[in-house]
Amino acid sequence: MAAIDLSPLWLSLRVATLSTLCVVLAGVALGWLLARRRFFGREALDAAVTLPLVLPPTVLGYYLLVLLGRGGPVGRAYEALTGSQLVFTWRGAVIAAAAGALPLMVKTARAAVAGVDTQYEDAARTLGKSEWQVFKRVTLPLASRGLLAGAMLAFARALGDFGATLMVAGNIPGRTQTAAIAIYDATQAGRDSDAVALVLVLSAAAFALLYATNRLSAAGHDS
Amino acid sequence: MLEVSVRKRLGPGFTLDVDFAAPPGVTVLFGASGSGKTLTLRAVAGLLRPDAGRVSAGGRVLFDSDSGIDIPVARRRVGYLFQNLALFPHMTALENVEFAAGGVPRGERRGRALSLLERLGVAHAAGRRPREVSGGEAQRVALARALAASPRVLLLDEPLSALDEPVRLRIVKDLKELNEELRLPVLYVTHSRDEALLLGGRAVIYERGRVAAEGSPEELFAAPASETVARLTGVENIFEGTVVARDEGAGTMSVELKGPGGLACRVEVPLGQSAEGARVRVAVRSGDILLAAEEPHNISARNVLRGRVSAIEERSAHTLVRVESGVTWAASVTRHALEQLGLRPDREVWLAFKTYSCRVYE
Repeated sequence: MAAIDLSPLWLSLRVATLSTLCVVLAGVALGWLLARRRFFGREALDAAVTLPLVLPPTVLGYYLLVLLGRGGPVGRAYEALTGSQLVFTWRGAVIAAAAGALPLMVKTARAAVAGVDTQYEDAARTLGKSEWQVFKRVTLPLASRGLLAGAMLAFARALGDFGATLMVAGNIPGRTQTAAIAIYDATQAGRDSDAVALVLVLSAAAFALLYATNRLSAAGHDS
Repeated sequence: MLEVSVRKRLGPGFTLDVDFAAPPGVTVLFGASGSGKTLTLRAVAGLLRPDAGRVSAGGRVLFDSDSGIDIPVARRRVGYLFQNLALFPHMTALENVEFAAGGVPRGERRGRALSLLERLGVAHAAGRRPREVSGGEAQRVALARALAASPRVLLLDEPLSALDEPVRLRIVKDLKELNEELRLPVLYVTHSRDEALLLGGRAVIYERGRVAAEGSPEELFAAPASETVARLTGVENIFEGTVVARDEGAGTMSVELKGPGGLACRVEVPLGQSAEGARVRVAVRSGDILLAAEEPHNISARNVLRGRVSAIEERSAHTLVRVESGVTWAASVTRHALEQLGLRPDREVWLAFKTYSCRVYE
């Protein structure tokens, strides 16, 4: 039996880590905005950000292709700046995985920030603290448990992204073939043992992350 | 000097509309819950934006609807002790105070925070989280935190309501002492007469979003200017009655108080404007009523009523005796007097009080 090719797994880990980083930054900002600021179209923004959770991955992938492709606004700007493309690269895979994971982060971040008693923030303001300091020293630490749970959910989701990644980044072994895509590829080609190894690893990782997330929320209720 | 003049409509049933000034020292805001005391504090702190008005502290305008000035909360330098204190649960007591000392150079923050905790007698709790300190200690830490930010005004929202009386009174005393040095205008919201009297200074009495009276707590409590003030300041005996006779020569009038079940009792009160037959309210402090085990003779009190003890209620500093005499009177006596008179429920007893202990609201 040939050695199992684990390179898709490493690519998946790298893509999921990078997209989680982006998702945490954007998700915390959006979650705070949705929880703490009243503005026109707030719920519309929430709905738009949540869409990837319910849309078919192919629809999300299609939108991303339109945006990131050579003719799309983001793709064109990126190419002008760096001279390279986004579509059919691992960077494209990062963006696709991030788009799929963002709703999970935004939803948990909004709930986590909303769960912080505004009186703490008001108290910090009366002590002369700027809005940034209030956020950094009061809101963020008090919401940290929920935010961490959100980040872990987002990572788990990014690790397993399939449809959107396939449409945006393609299936290029060694370059854009993530674990989820490699499983599809292996079963299509009849290489079942390759598929099983990746299936088991992905399942175990997802289970561990969900379990840890639950433990985190349960501990949050106790205190 | 803190000058507060704010108007804020909150729904159809309630408008906050108050105007008062607080000199350095403690100004007690006194009134029923929902009368707008906390809203006033929030408007001063900048957490509530008034529809109109002006707030200034030491000549610095914090809010002025006419000139569109609305200084953000963080730049008002208004210390605020929330009712639940809002000590940051993820920081120790020391970190809470250090966090507030942001205006001090980094290297000096810890020292300043420690000396404030020491000044308030809670240096021993410096390393503890808020949930690990007692209620009284938490109050002191919160006060240290508010002071660490060098406020120009201090707002305290029923800061001690959750504490036992001895702890509470000690903190009130310390706060008063502390402020003799700082000379900050302090707005102090409370329900407690004891606290109001202990803190001295001035009192502003709130009634449904408006100022019903202001002055020294002693004056306000001794001679309430209106029936509502009397009620708020804890005058225990307030009865409705009808003027039955006027004696212009003696400067008195007789009022028949209506009790439940058609019973009545007649009292002599100072002469007012009301004509015979007019309805009035009569208020008497429980502390102004004497109790006698036998019918008193040859005493100056013009009101001597025979009654029956219906209940005896132990309070912290005195005992309240309820006496049925057409209406139910409340009289405060010391425990000592209670024993000496042999008072117990159902015993016959005489009430005596002076004409001038009665206040009439016409």
